[in-house]
Amino acid sequence: MERNLMKGNEALAEAAIRAGCKCFFGYPITPQTELAAYMAKRMNKSGGVFLQAESEIAAINMVLGAASTGVRAMTSSSSPGISLKSEGVSYIAGSDLPAVIINVERGGPGLGGIQPSQADYWQATKALGHGDFQLLVYAPASVQEMVDYVVKAFDRADKYRMPAMILADGLLGQMMEPVTFPEINPDAYDKSGWAANGHKMQREHHIINSLYLKPDELENSIVERYKKYDIIKETETEAELYLTEDCDVLVCAFGATARVVKSAVNDARAQGIKAGLFRPKTLWPFPVKEINEAAKNAKALLSVEMSMGQMVDDIKLAINCSKPVHFFGRTGGVIPTPAEVLDEIKKIGGNL
Amino acid sequence: MAKMTVITERCKGCGLCTAACPKKIVALQKEKRNKKGYFYAECTDQSACIGCAMCAMMCPDCAITVEK
Repeated sequence: MERNLMKGNEALAEAAIRAGCKCFFGYPITPQTELAAYMAKRMNKSGGVFLQAESEIAAINMVLGAASTGVRAMTSSSSPGISLKSEGVSYIAGSDLPAVIINVERGGPGLGGIQPSQADYWQATKALGHGDFQLLVYAPASVQEMVDYVVKAFDRADKYRMPAMILADGLLGQMMEPVTFPEINPDAYDKSGWAANGHKMQREHHIINSLYLKPDELENSIVERYKKYDIIKETETEAELYLTEDCDVLVCAFGATARVVKSAVNDARAQGIKAGLFRPKTLWPFPVKEINEAAKNAKALLSVEMSMGQMVDDIKLAINCSKPVHFFGRTGGVIPTPAEVLDEIKKIGGNL
Repeated sequence: MAKMTVITERCKGCGLCTAACPKKIVALQKEKRNKKGYFYAECTDQSACIGCAMCAMMCPDCAITVEK
């Protein structure tokens, strides 16, 4: 297979085009801009639409409109832009539409900074918009994984008729690595049962809507959606377990941070501390079974994040607080170093 | 004499070149930024450049050119 050296943001865009994305609506923001720039260059030639909207809010509502017609549509942004998009994401979820949203995270809150961060974990997994709903959230840790998860996000979004998010960060977006692109079938799912793409007087109207004025109707629609979420929680979790079989200290990290942690785990092993790495690849649904499997012999857990501690909550819930869970993080765009993480592992390993 | 130039708009301010330079004459800007908002790298003392091109080789974005 053909190998290309690509920047993370460009690989995300190329993967989306190959996955059959026909509509991209976006608005530039560092560190995600290369994605939109690449789309601007390539989308037209591959028979799709690239449009730079007048704002993030316009972009996400264009995605809502395009997704209503059954075409594969996506948008991308970085943290402050995603906040603006949250209303539209809620409408997309409420209308049961497939769409892909990419967040190349930067530091927050407010305008924050432009260096990598993971402080949008809570936003992505708990509250990207109002109302009872969830998104599929994928956390790639390499440029190749970004490609694979864009393809998967489009596929699963279509399969479950729900929005899916790629939660990357500035580090992954700006990084160059070799990638290969898989074979993709963009038409794996039949959308003719709901897509509002013109009835030509030959079938019933299809209506895309998220407004239910009768409370029991709204409740029913949400309960139905949550049945779907239960299936997803059973079948869609993914995680990487590295040296967890005999580990005393289980270090948990996702995305780019997991690469730093992996070096620290190897260093700890070289110094005789039994450390292991648990890396969730899906943040929602959180890999509960997998973390319990990884933590079965561990005496303590450590969550390493580029935030003040967000995933650490989900870890405590997943293991029912059965073991002590520690936290180490750098935030505001500072990337933790393997040496810092190793010191933390030693601290915890020494107290066992 | 060797000359080091940076395509500033392509630089993301990762700082790898500053670590790679044996003469320690590559530094990140402290005040000026490129259009994306990154503090870009630049040569602080062209006359001390030995043209080894370590910075160019290390640059992940091919933003550095070294001429001899």
